[in-house]
Amino acid sequence: MPSQNGSSPTVALHVEDLTVAYQRKPVLWDVDLDVPAGVLMAVIGPNGAGKTTLIKAVLNLIPRAAGRALFFGQPYEQARSLVGYVPQRGSVDWDFPTSVLDVVMMGLYGRLGWFRRPGRREREAALHALEQVALADLAHRQISQLSGGQQQRVFLARALVQDAQIYFMDEPFAAVDAVTERAIVGILQALRAQGKTVIVVHHDLQTITDYFDWVTLLNVEVVASGPTAATFTPENLRRAYGGRVSFMEHGQAAIATGD
Amino acid sequence: MGALEDLFVRLLLLFATPEAINPVLSDPRTVAVLLGALIAVCGGVLGVYLLLRGMALTSDAISHTVLLGIVVAFLVMTGLLGLPPDLSSPLLIVGAAAAGVLTVVLTELIERSGLVKQDAALGLVFPLLFAVAVILVSRYVDNVHIDTDSVLVGEIGMAWANTNSHCLEHCEAVTITPDDPRAVLTRQCVNCRALNISPRDPRAEFREVCANCGMYTPAQAYQAGLTSAAPTLVFWPKSLTVMGLLTLVTLGFVLLLYKELKLSTFDAALAAALGFRPGMLHYALMVLVSLVAVGAFDAVGSILVVAFFIIPPAAAYLLTDRLGVMLLLSPVIGAAGAYWGYDLARGSVFGLVEMSDVLAALNRALGTQLIERWDSSISASMALMMFVLFVAALVISPRYGLVSVSLRRAAMRQQFDDQVILAHLYRHEGAAEAADELAVATLHEHLRWPRGRMQRVLLRLRAWGWIQVEAGIAHLTPQGRQQVEAFREAHLLQT
Repeated sequence: MPSQNGSSPTVALHVEDLTVAYQRKPVLWDVDLDVPAGVLMAVIGPNGAGKTTLIKAVLNLIPRAAGRALFFGQPYEQARSLVGYVPQRGSVDWDFPTSVLDVVMMGLYGRLGWFRRPGRREREAALHALEQVALADLAHRQISQLSGGQQQRVFLARALVQDAQIYFMDEPFAAVDAVTERAIVGILQALRAQGKTVIVVHHDLQTITDYFDWVTLLNVEVVASGPTAATFTPENLRRAYGGRVSFMEHGQAAIATGD
Repeated sequence: MGALEDLFVRLLLLFATPEAINPVLSDPRTVAVLLGALIAVCGGVLGVYLLLRGMALTSDAISHTVLLGIVVAFLVMTGLLGLPPDLSSPLLIVGAAAAGVLTVVLTELIERSGLVKQDAALGLVFPLLFAVAVILVSRYVDNVHIDTDSVLVGEIGMAWANTNSHCLEHCEAVTITPDDPRAVLTRQCVNCRALNISPRDPRAEFREVCANCGMYTPAQAYQAGLTSAAPTLVFWPKSLTVMGLLTLVTLGFVLLLYKELKLSTFDAALAAALGFRPGMLHYALMVLVSLVAVGAFDAVGSILVVAFFIIPPAAAYLLTDRLGVMLLLSPVIGAAGAYWGYDLARGSVFGLVEMSDVLAALNRALGTQLIERWDSSISASMALMMFVLFVAALVISPRYGLVSVSLRRAAMRQQFDDQVILAHLYRHEGAAEAADELAVATLHEHLRWPRGRMQRVLLRLRAWGWIQVEAGIAHLTPQGRQQVEAFREAHLLQT
């Protein structure tokens, strides 16, 4: 699936010599990465490969040992408004006393800046985003009453209101049912159709070729990165996952259990 | 502080005359309840954020470790800077705030090592800092009196007595110098004692001494007859100034940064990604907690202040699922606890029951010799009353309360029973075995239910008009049929 502006190689995300270490154990090692604008990209790799760390490090959420990241040529401090971030669903306390609509409006806090409170415009934008993820009915629910899939869609709506150019999503498909997964994929593909760049940490190797047109295989170092058709190969998978991938027909892969 | 007190007094005067204010400010009950309410507002508001951040017990740690900050600041002040020892110096407040932040930073460092969990990390840091403070106090600060009682429970009952006076009218301070016409000058022999002679001796030398020279405050000047009009004074309890200021700062902080605090409490990663500095907000919050812990120390002690930080937010959390409402409810619950707590300390339970009557009744009934006068610790009674309110919230909370949960369970059980019977009728009606399956007298045997339960369900279904009984056989009414179909639609036919 060629991306819309595949011919004009604007680089949405440029990562250069990025190294992150916890204590002295390297988690990301000298990562170089270029993601063209307008692709829907999966970041895959075994557990502990540094997928979440990659997102957090480029967004300045954790300290880097070396390297830098540029968004459309700008460092993160200047590109904040271009970037949307969807953290892992489990990273927040869903018993927090607030409503669905409130959580979605949080996506607009960055645009409001310090001290200004959200008003009617922000409410309407948030409601519109909730409509896009088919949760408008639940706008005034307490967030603890949501199912896992609904929580994920609330996070997605919160990213949508940001109206960013490049989105980072940390395992949006974790523990959601098939219906929700299809709904989320629909939203991601709609984002790409608008020319946005979407970078997704993903686990299910079965769906890579269906959902994504670009893929980065990561295992502390970047194993390979490029268009899915050329990059998502048995050879690269073996290099990323070691011997723990068994291949089924039609080039589909699955992680073998038992390690 | 003096200027701030003046401001508070002037604000009060917009609403009342000095004659009306003084009796109020010298009433032990009013001052204790007011002070308790101010602590409740600060603690209740900040405690909401502590609770939601999963760090409620940090308030406990901080309320103890601020002692280290106070002691170190005291040593720096007297030892290094050579200032006179002054326990109300703002330097001590700075020290306390620094100690509060140090507590949190050390806890996080230990936790981040990955070797110790958060609760244990807090348990490591807080005795460490407290121990250092105790050693420093016992080694270097022996002239400062710290009394165990006041550390434990504070002295909120005496807050009314420790006042600054503020003069409003006829505030003429008088200074009399020896050349003032009002000066009373006497001659005094300077060498009489040395030479052991009488003042009448010719060798005696004299100097003039002023008997009434010096500075007179307005009140002293009036008493000495130097001014004609009595000054109008307001006696302002000192402890209200500190807590009043902290209340203003706390409310200002939360109102101004409501959105930022909410986001960084709910999702610190997004707050950081959007450029709000969650780390900075975090430490600002800890500084405020430290300041309130210090400010409330005199009044309620370093242990019971924790009650003001934890109990009201915990109760408010049960009563609402909106942060804004929680931030309103929590201080209200705390203030109500302070109000009824004072009464409890003086022997009155919610103004309904007198403890002395209860004790007297006990003495009569059991022949015991309990002392009937009830007079107990005010701060402890306030904490106790807050807990009573928490239990009330636990019982009546609309969503999680014991009452509503058991009511909801009972209602669900009833609805489920109803649906089981309706479904049974729906399936067997009109079939060959209907007469046997649907006979009211034997229905309970088919479902293996106790007869009483079946009778209750049937009674209810007939009352709703969902079934009819003809000749001992139960039938669905059209409404009953609708019920079954709606239930199947909602729960069984879903894909």
